[in-house]
Amino acid sequence: MKMICVVKFVPDLDSIVHDGENNTMTGNNSRMILNPDDACALAFALQVKAEDPDGSIEVVSMGPPSVRPHMEDLLRRDVDRGTLICDSVFDGSDPSVTSRVLARYIATRPFDCLLTGSHSLDGGTAQVPVQLAELLDLDQMLGISRMDPDRFDRKRAVFQVAEEKSVTTYEMAMPCVLSLTRESGYKLPYPRLTDMRRDVSDELAVITNQALGFSTTEVGQTGSPMKIVTTRPKTYDKKERHIVQNDEAGISFVVDFLKERGFL
Amino acid sequence: MKKTCIFQDTDNTKKTADLLEVARRMYGNEPFESHAVILEGPSDEIYGAFHHIIRLSAGLVEGFDSRGICDVLENLHQTNTFDSILIPATCLGEMIAPRLAVRLQTGLAAGVTDIGRNGDRIAFIRPACSGKRLQGLEHTGEGPVVMSIRPNAFEYTSGGGVETEMSEYTQPVTSRTAVKRLHSEANKQTYDIRDSEVLISGGNGVKDCFPKLYPLADALNGTVAASRKLVDQGIAPRQIQVGQSGKTVSPRLYMALGIHGSMPHMAGLRQIETIISVNRSSHAPVCSLSDIVVQGDAAEFIDKLMAKMLSADPKKKDR
Repeated sequence: MKMICVVKFVPDLDSIVHDGENNTMTGNNSRMILNPDDACALAFALQVKAEDPDGSIEVVSMGPPSVRPHMEDLLRRDVDRGTLICDSVFDGSDPSVTSRVLARYIATRPFDCLLTGSHSLDGGTAQVPVQLAELLDLDQMLGISRMDPDRFDRKRAVFQVAEEKSVTTYEMAMPCVLSLTRESGYKLPYPRLTDMRRDVSDELAVITNQALGFSTTEVGQTGSPMKIVTTRPKTYDKKERHIVQNDEAGISFVVDFLKERGFL
Repeated sequence: MKKTCIFQDTDNTKKTADLLEVARRMYGNEPFESHAVILEGPSDEIYGAFHHIIRLSAGLVEGFDSRGICDVLENLHQTNTFDSILIPATCLGEMIAPRLAVRLQTGLAAGVTDIGRNGDRIAFIRPACSGKRLQGLEHTGEGPVVMSIRPNAFEYTSGGGVETEMSEYTQPVTSRTAVKRLHSEANKQTYDIRDSEVLISGGNGVKDCFPKLYPLADALNGTVAASRKLVDQGIAPRQIQVGQSGKTVSPRLYMALGIHGSMPHMAGLRQIETIISVNRSSHAPVCSLSDIVVQGDAAEFIDKLMAKMLSADPKKKDR
């Protein structure tokens, strides 16, 4: 079973909060983490590999050189091969260009299944896994909340998707793209103590545009049909607020307020 | 005349018409022709809002077959040459819009929550960085603009009165999908938090007593919602999650119990009339948006508020 996990490293945005007093953002956004949905997809792949002596995992990511130590960290967790697609000509690429770059590389690799997260913490639009599937002419499913490890092999995968009105079990023929969510609950194992300092640099391939052969007009900002023209912090209108305590007077104030506004 | 194509909100068909507001904001006072594409269920709720309602023949394509649905939309575009194709960013819509954009070799504005103007050019506004920033996107490529629209981000108020032409789409789909639905179990969750006028919403501060929110919601004729922290811990189902990775809600009353109010959570709050927050710290971000901040433990607050409401209206004890 050959699995490719497509992952993204994102800023740890949970540490940034809105300071209501000053209507500003506070916190440190410099720390990068493996996108939580992607971590679940990789954790599932590692679980499959642990049970399958022929199983192999390649982790593919597109990002800046600063991502390298994070990729090496994954290679210390029983991932067989890491590929970082990294070239300054890709800077500023929108998700559709990112998908094309990833797809061109992945099309050269043998695989039975592509595993990804559903949503990224930073963008959250689930665009890349879907477009990868379209470019590779594969079926794809977003929002997978549970995989059936007993019915996951080179021919087919069975899994559950928690949808708005139902929980549905699907079967999909391989090869395909399966996109997991955090609700799947798969946890990345810690590296073994002996692997913590292992030199894995030989297991990480860095691919540049020289290998992929895009023209400079096809990628980066120039090749992206959607251009970011403005970006601004989200701000909120402050309200006249009443601060009360959680005591008899405070509760009475809340009840009176609810009555006055017609909620009671 | 501009032409817009709107794909059904399969989670809530009547909200399909809300996407007309996106087209109205894009085209301003210029008239536009609207086409709704209906995959399943009745279309009565949107009759009179669209110029054309195109129903897919029964059994033509499965509701989970995003490749087949893309075939339909691609063919309809070839016939009608739409200027824009708007798809609700539901679970299904998120699997259709990016595929369609690839097929039509055009750009995708994903997760749009607002429409702005940059001179004569249209800017598609969407939250980025987990809702901490707002990005304005411009479409510079050829072809129609494909957009996925965050549910509940727009409301179309001038609907109705349009002469609607109904038609059936019968052309077989050509994409071959190898997906089978084995079985489906209805969620116990029967309500949609986007429809609620009163939302009693819980965060990490009520993780040990989340069921207590339900009687309080009943007493206020509301429903229960939750923050991502509770969904990630398996305490609340994803269907009731508010925020960037959940739903955008616009209730009249939003009661935030034990919710800190991270930016991704607040990205899901839109045009809320009244917010009451209960938090140990009055400096929690959600408190700055609140009409009333109750400083204290949210679980204790629920008990005290329920007791007060019952003492004020003893008839509720009998319910």
